[in-house]
Amino acid sequence: MITAVRKPFDEIRDLVKGYDRLLILGCGTCVTVCMAGGEKEVGILASTLRLADQKDGRSREITEATIERQCDREFFDAVKEKMAAADAVLSMACGVGAQFCGEVFAGKAVLPALNTKFYGTTEGPGVWSARCSGCGTCVIADFGGICPVTRCSKSLLNGPCGGSSKGKCEVDPANIECGWQLIHDRMKLLGRLADLEAVQPLKDWSTGRDGGPGRIVKEDATL
Amino acid sequence: MKGGIVALCCENSGWKALASLGDDPVLDGVEAVRLPCSGKAETGMMLKILEKGAAGVLVLGCPKDDCTFLRGSARAQKRVAVARAALKDAGVGEERVRMEFISSVDTPRLAEAIRAMKAALEAHEGKA
Repeated sequence: MITAVRKPFDEIRDLVKGYDRLLILGCGTCVTVCMAGGEKEVGILASTLRLADQKDGRSREITEATIERQCDREFFDAVKEKMAAADAVLSMACGVGAQFCGEVFAGKAVLPALNTKFYGTTEGPGVWSARCSGCGTCVIADFGGICPVTRCSKSLLNGPCGGSSKGKCEVDPANIECGWQLIHDRMKLLGRLADLEAVQPLKDWSTGRDGGPGRIVKEDATL
Repeated sequence: MKGGIVALCCENSGWKALASLGDDPVLDGVEAVRLPCSGKAETGMMLKILEKGAAGVLVLGCPKDDCTFLRGSARAQKRVAVARAALKDAGVGEERVRMEFISSVDTPRLAEAIRAMKAALEAHEGKA
């Protein structure tokens, strides 16, 4: 899933200061799972803004809604009327959803309430961590199913750097495991350690972000 | 104190302690809500109660090392902390949300906690 965290309240408050009719729009998919922008988080942010407005003696209409996904057009139909009544939308979707919301409702101010982080997994209750960087050419088959692009802080493809110590990464030893330690351990488990002797060629980064904005066309699905 | 206190009570501890207070005047202005566990109290619920006009929210859970559902009180404590942080962000007094870990028989301490919260809210109201 795409993970995100909510922006600091002061930043959000600054973003919405010029608007008197605000729709806070949550997303029911990835950011609900990572507890950043689902229905509950919409409620918390709306209540916090209303309490702040009450304190300031400000009268502002704040409505709440959460749709299934903000990255697909059809789900916005459910909030057309609320959207029309608002002069700005505070989107609690990821960067994809927030942008697409602005495309669907062109002319409406769409403001992001979240900072989008990474493609990640749920490690345990309340903990998410990165697994994929969307490089466009998946290489995990060569590394026992572990991505060196994402799991190694330096995205090294030919072994660890000198900053690996006791299985931890020098970038943040308390929180980041050395990706290459993980790869080594997994390849050992799979009986494939010798495969790591192969030299990986230069990676073509143009299939990912470096190649410009991505676009996929699946011809048999187009109309 | 305008609005009163809404007490979100674990039915295994706070709810029973509160019931033991009977018609004690300390309960004037206190509305009790019975929950199966204090871990059912959510951050959004606490903020919504304040938004709708309550002066304060008091979450009553089991003693942390003797929680009926093991981690319910610990969960509630974290959510109370998030609610208090949101109140701070909003410029509203953090003291408007509190948590007490209370056994079902610790009625005197509950009465004292309610008195203390009322005093803090009144003091805050005086400043606002």
